[in-house]
Amino acid sequence: MLAPAVPKSWYLPSKPHKFCPGCGHGIVLKALGEVIDELQIQDQAIFGCDIGCSLLAWDFFACDSTQTHHGRTTPVMVGIKRSRPELTCIGYMGDGGGYSIGSQHLLNAAVRNEKVTLILVNNTNYGMTGGQMAPTTLPGQKTETSPYGRDPETTGYPTMGPEFLAELTPDSAYIARATVSKYKQLKKYLKSALKNQMEGNGFSFVEVLSTCPTNWRTNAQQSWNFLEDEMEKYFPVGELKNPLGKGDK
Amino acid sequence: MSFSINSTGRIIEAYIGEYASGKSEMAINRALDLKNQGRQVTLVDLDTVEPFYTLRTLKKVLEAMGMKVISFAREDSFGLGETGAMLNPKARWALMNEGDIIMDIGYGVQGAKTLNLVEGANESSELKILAVINGTRPMTDSKEKIREYLTELGRVDAIVLNTHLGDETTVEIIKMGNDLIQEVGCEMGIPIAYMAVNEDLHELVPAEKYAMQVKYIKRYMPGAMW
Amino acid sequence: MPRIIGNPKKSFVTGNETAAWACLVAGADMMFGYPITPQNEIMHYWTRLAPKHGRGFLQTEDELSAGFTVCGSVQCGKKAFTATAGPGNVLMQEPFGMAEAMRLPLLAIIQQRGGPSSGTVVYSQQEVTLTTFGGNGEGMRIVYSTASHQEIYDYTIKGFNVAWKYRFPVFILGDGYQAKMREPLEMYDPEDRGIEMIKPYPLIGLEGKISAGREPQHLCNIYSLEEELYEVVMKVAAEYEALEDTIVEYDEKYCNDADIIIVSHGVVSRAADDAVKALRAQGIKAGYFRPITLRPYPRKQLRAAIAKSGAKKLLIAESAYGQLDRLTKQEIFGENVKIENLFKPGVGIIDYDIISKVKSVL
Repeated sequence: MLAPAVPKSWYLPSKPHKFCPGCGHGIVLKALGEVIDELQIQDQAIFGCDIGCSLLAWDFFACDSTQTHHGRTTPVMVGIKRSRPELTCIGYMGDGGGYSIGSQHLLNAAVRNEKVTLILVNNTNYGMTGGQMAPTTLPGQKTETSPYGRDPETTGYPTMGPEFLAELTPDSAYIARATVSKYKQLKKYLKSALKNQMEGNGFSFVEVLSTCPTNWRTNAQQSWNFLEDEMEKYFPVGELKNPLGKGDK
Repeated sequence: MSFSINSTGRIIEAYIGEYASGKSEMAINRALDLKNQGRQVTLVDLDTVEPFYTLRTLKKVLEAMGMKVISFAREDSFGLGETGAMLNPKARWALMNEGDIIMDIGYGVQGAKTLNLVEGANESSELKILAVINGTRPMTDSKEKIREYLTELGRVDAIVLNTHLGDETTVEIIKMGNDLIQEVGCEMGIPIAYMAVNEDLHELVPAEKYAMQVKYIKRYMPGAMW
Repeated sequence: MPRIIGNPKKSFVTGNETAAWACLVAGADMMFGYPITPQNEIMHYWTRLAPKHGRGFLQTEDELSAGFTVCGSVQCGKKAFTATAGPGNVLMQEPFGMAEAMRLPLLAIIQQRGGPSSGTVVYSQQEVTLTTFGGNGEGMRIVYSTASHQEIYDYTIKGFNVAWKYRFPVFILGDGYQAKMREPLEMYDPEDRGIEMIKPYPLIGLEGKISAGREPQHLCNIYSLEEELYEVVMKVAAEYEALEDTIVEYDEKYCNDADIIIVSHGVVSRAADDAVKALRAQGIKAGYFRPITLRPYPRKQLRAAIAKSGAKKLLIAESAYGQLDRLTKQEIFGENVKIENLFKPGVGIIDYDIISKVKSVL
């Protein structure tokens, strides 16, 4: 039997990976691995992981990698980029780490147009701590800290990350929202986000809509339905800013 | 609806219930029982919130007995900093194993929906979903609360009576809690699978005095660090 | 307030649930929190219970925010609390410092996990220094280190009253094992035990109209002159020290004649208790001393125990690398006693560990 084709930049001793079956992280990381290969940046990439499920990716790549703190991946990546601009910094985080505890860093890094690439995986809940409400939890969605369903009256509406970051950044920034259900598009966005950093343009950000069957308690069909029917309707997929060429919004 | 714990065919049981209601204890005891009857058993840890991986030594004991245990050993899943909800990929395909399958299901707002994560669970005709209830738990200590809880759980094929108070369990406490649960079960048309009693109380709670199956169990959780 | 428990009864619970129920019966109005293991179930249970009893909850964007929202809530007269652990406790030192400075009666439940940094999510006693003396202040806090679910319940109820009576922030210091462990708990409504819950009162947003003559409140948290701050800190210190005898709590056994006294706190003191009994049964004169309040520390009581026992040695046992040790040494400075230690940072300690250590040093 032929071994499945895996990106050259994957770190094989850490495979099979540790994400739950049906988790979308694996798809994002496969796309990212292929992009790292295509751009030939394995030797210059620095991969930084937040705390949360994104942490399970910390030894995913054969790239120099570091774990950080919950919410603090953005400033750690900024510190590296400001000190060694020749490195390509990739911050990998979840919706809680990016939009909640790390939101001030995200916002200010965007305002300063920091030349780092941030990938934020949105699965509408805090996975690792057991399925609590996240900034991206949909209205009415039940979680461990919204056991009667998220009530926008008291907890607001889901954070629209790419939309608010697009407002804060100059035109040299790259901002997009992808989904694990559209692999080619996801890969294209990740590639653009990395190229934008490498060309020295500015802040580069991709939110990726993803699945969390373990905490949603959904089977394959239900997981996909939630992603495509609920999440993608609420969170529009597309490029909001693309200085590299024409967006496909 | 009826329920027999002495089925001769293939046994597939999922233990669901409230946080700390005794799901893991029931699942482990039941799996051990079946194993001791010479049956082929797979014990599956689907408690994604608090897996019984703290019972590391027990996992090894069970495996030494020839039981298949699908769960994360702590050393498999840790070293990752933050941790909590994780699903072992083997658990997804648990029903593909031959022989009896005993599943320990997590709690939470999504509770019994965890079975959605098991391939084929919704279609299985052999699967029995057993709700474990301890009448001394604050969320299930009155008839109203028990009814509310059972309703929330969704499909329940039978109830396991597991009223106890750890080291302070008495016959009166067992009776008081289990009577409440039984009444609600009766009203809701859910049969009692069996009553679980700590083996230390064997003499005080003799099986012949009860119209239902009594299962003497060993409690393993106090042996864990927590 | 309507009774919640009714007739006192025994329940089989985890420590995190215990904390949520204790806050409920103590009349807490609001919880502000952020997910972090191993305290999550405090939030899970509070979010299930709170709406049924007209109480509030907000999941904030992080622990800084959770701590400061609690500060705001108590300032306007609500009994508010939070719960956290590890890196969350680190972030909360900024709001806890404000509570110390402005004498805000907040209550925080800390379920210690392993450190430094993200460490483990499981267990430790490594947040002693942080919880007692964290922040850029002088440690004007009240810290109860609990050892059982009953104590989590009792001291959480008591903690709200102590906070609101004396206006110092109060901490219930548990750990991951206590958070997850299951054991019987007697739940009760405080009034059934003759405990009168102190009504919270606002510091701002007072009754009466300023336009109709009510004095506006201006709460101060920064001073222009060194001398001003000096006076404030000295006044707070004097008030805190005056309260020590009232607040200090401890447990002491077999210290009338002991060659060695085992000093431990929290869940480790359960192992110490078993160890001392076993050692005594073997004819070894071991004593047991447990500070229940780590701030203020029962220094006089420990000094007295050393004096009356004639103990030549103390054994300080903790799931940390010397945090209780440092705390104890600074409190009993000058005592002529040799201090041995059993440090197991981030790892549980059982009676066997203590017995072996005692035998090796006697």
